[in-house]
Amino acid sequence: MTVEILAQRNARPGRDEEVDVVIVGAGPSGSVAALHLARAGISVVVLEQGEWPDYDDYTGARPEHELVSTKLWHPNPNVRDSPNDYPVDTSTTDINPLMFAGVGGSATLYGAQWMHFLPSDFRVRSMDGVAEDWPFTYEDLLPYQLEIEREVGVSGLSGDPAFPPRGAYPFPALPMGSVGLRGALGMEKMGWHWWPGSNAIPSEKFGELNPCVRRGTCLTGCPEGAKSTTDRSHWPLALKAGARLITRARVKEVETNDQGLATGVVYIDANGRERRQRAKVVILCANGVGTPRLLLMSGGSRNPHGLANSSGMVGKRLMMHPFASVLASYEDPLDSWRGPFGQQVYSLEFYETDESRGFVRGSKWNCMPSGGPVGVSGATGSKVYVAEEGRFQDFWGANLHENVARRFGHSLIWGIVGEDLPEESNQVVLSKDLVDSDGLPAPQIVYKVNENSNRLLQFNIDRCLESVRAAGAIETLVSTPVRESGWHLIGTTVMGGDPKRSVVDQWGACHDVPNLYVMDASTFPTSGATNPTATIMAVALRNTHRMIAERRNQKVA
Amino acid sequence: MAKEQVFFALADFLIPAHGKMPKFSDVCAYADVEKSLDFRIDLKEGFARAIATDPSTGAEAHLEKINKQDGEAFSAITTIAIATYYMNPRVRELIGYPGQENVQYDSKATQIYLTNGSLGHVIARGRKYRPTPGL
Ligand SMILES: Cc1cc2nc3c(=O)[nH]c(=O)nc-3n(C[C@H](O)[C@H](O)[C@H](O)COP(=O)(O)OP(=O)(O)OC[C@H]3O[C@@H](n4cnc5c(N)ncnc54)[C@H](O)[C@@H]3O)c2cc1C
Ligand code: SF4
Repeated sequence: MTVEILAQRNARPGRDEEVDVVIVGAGPSGSVAALHLARAGISVVVLEQGEWPDYDDYTGARPEHELVSTKLWHPNPNVRDSPNDYPVDTSTTDINPLMFAGVGGSATLYGAQWMHFLPSDFRVRSMDGVAEDWPFTYEDLLPYQLEIEREVGVSGLSGDPAFPPRGAYPFPALPMGSVGLRGALGMEKMGWHWWPGSNAIPSEKFGELNPCVRRGTCLTGCPEGAKSTTDRSHWPLALKAGARLITRARVKEVETNDQGLATGVVYIDANGRERRQRAKVVILCANGVGTPRLLLMSGGSRNPHGLANSSGMVGKRLMMHPFASVLASYEDPLDSWRGPFGQQVYSLEFYETDESRGFVRGSKWNCMPSGGPVGVSGATGSKVYVAEEGRFQDFWGANLHENVARRFGHSLIWGIVGEDLPEESNQVVLSKDLVDSDGLPAPQIVYKVNENSNRLLQFNIDRCLESVRAAGAIETLVSTPVRESGWHLIGTTVMGGDPKRSVVDQWGACHDVPNLYVMDASTFPTSGATNPTATIMAVALRNTHRMIAERRNQKVA
Repeated sequence: MAKEQVFFALADFLIPAHGKMPKFSDVCAYADVEKSLDFRIDLKEGFARAIATDPSTGAEAHLEKINKQDGEAFSAITTIAIATYYMNPRVRELIGYPGQENVQYDSKATQIYLTNGSLGHVIARGRKYRPTPGL
């Protein structure tokens, strides 16, 4: 049976039907929770403001790709300007948050770089004296990481000495390509760590996922259906198990009763009608911006500062991983439009703290192809060069041809992801004037890149330049911190044992509302420096297993 | 000057002939430009503003002016020019770009880094993570 038929068969619940669990958001975290709850026989409804992806809309295989994707598949919702997204007020942030609304969530546009957090990420306070330790350890989470990898269909090579020993990946690593080999060569010359990329892209046919054909357009949707997103990895199974998914359903409020327990949610359907979904348990999986936004919109007169917010921490400690990139061009051809885009090679050489560097914590680097001619020219979006020192002529005329000749097919990009330390002043609040297409307040981001991040990025850029030059780079271009780089949204409903200092406990249950859960990266006390989706899905799985095991003890309205 | 001519004057300044590369109007027709605009209807208004007045002072001065005064129009006209140019099959052939092609490979083939010793060096350098048991 196709997904479409299953999706229709599992009809919307009746008007007053109370389900066991309602989940907000059908991205990676919500999809994991939905699949496992449905398999345990629990009735689940998922409400998602976006729609099912239409793979014909992904332009990667067509000539107009670079033209269309810079609008339709732009990761910034303000640029896409689609009614399915909510806009974000970015007037008070150094970095724009990036996300996508739909079945599969923001991973629709992710690079599919698949990385676990490292052991020290869970023990930042104990080891480095900053921020907080997590309530659980790397070892506690590892079994869930491995289970999720099998569900997602990850390809990679085990044996990386930057991680404790772990079993094999489900699929062999994707071929590296000339870009990866050149990136590795620079690291090798410096005597630094590198490892073949692990990616949420199976190298062989797996369930609904086709083998990757290295088309290299992962960040704008995979036209081959090869990149693992939960519309293919999880939803066909979740629908079969009886989960119900309602798309174009925007949740505006979590409702509670006089005892302070959640009773369900109110949402606006595709026709603009307000509906209520009653549920014994509510799970928020709307990401590090959408989840605090929803809590701040909820609570009514009983909770004027938002629901589950007696600690005052809802929305605070936003972490977005300040990011720098180094583009390096070489004389010889690297076929640098070929994928996989995510990461052909990664390095954890500078991941751990070394205080002699002048900052704490560290970074992860990933080496990727530089893409098509329009992108590498650096000429589009030319508004940015209106700045006084910028001359548009530097990017056009003969310079355009020379830039493209030097870079196109001959360059790689190292992305540098820096760990972001939590600060209460970096936060999500509700915008006073911007609203979404249903008239609900948009989130506003208040965020400054801190001094530790600035020093961390500069140190890593300097090292990266050494590495690419060691491998023979003839040109280097640095971008830091990249404004359009808030793809990791973390920390805004922090987990912890103390209800005065945290929003949820280690299982994602809100201290104030025990039948309201958060299962996305909002709960992470610290951000690590690796791409977070592997950890997000593993934590969601751990929480869901616990919810299933403890279902009889769950306090409900 | 007809709108088309205004556009070609600006596009040829942005993308002139250089070495083996042709100028914009040598390879792209106005119909190609219109096709690009159909893919990006959001750029139509800015594009129209950019070519609404004759570049009497010359293409460079005109572009300089819209870059300073109407960033959206500048962005629209440059995006359409560059994307149309690099979508052109002749231009793609000249720069050696087959598009985002499909590449078959054998997922079980032994990768070179396993046989040439390079990954072996990484392993030989030993553990990099900091263990945390007991913390
Ligand atoms: C361009 C880009 C590249 C990335 N690359 C990588 C990568 O290589 N590796 C990696 O690990 N991570 C990457 N990420 C991050 C990754 O996509 C996220 O970590 C992941 O998708 C988070 O999953 P989630 O389920 O918590 O949230 P999301 O995927 O953001 O899903 C949340 C869902 O909730 C829905 N929602 C929100 N509010 C409401 C509401 N009020 N009502 C109804 N529905 C709502 C949204 O529409 C959305 O579909 C990338 C992200 C972007 C944008
Ligand atoms: S590189 Fe692979 S996963 Fe990425 S878009 Fe191409 S086929 Fe899809």
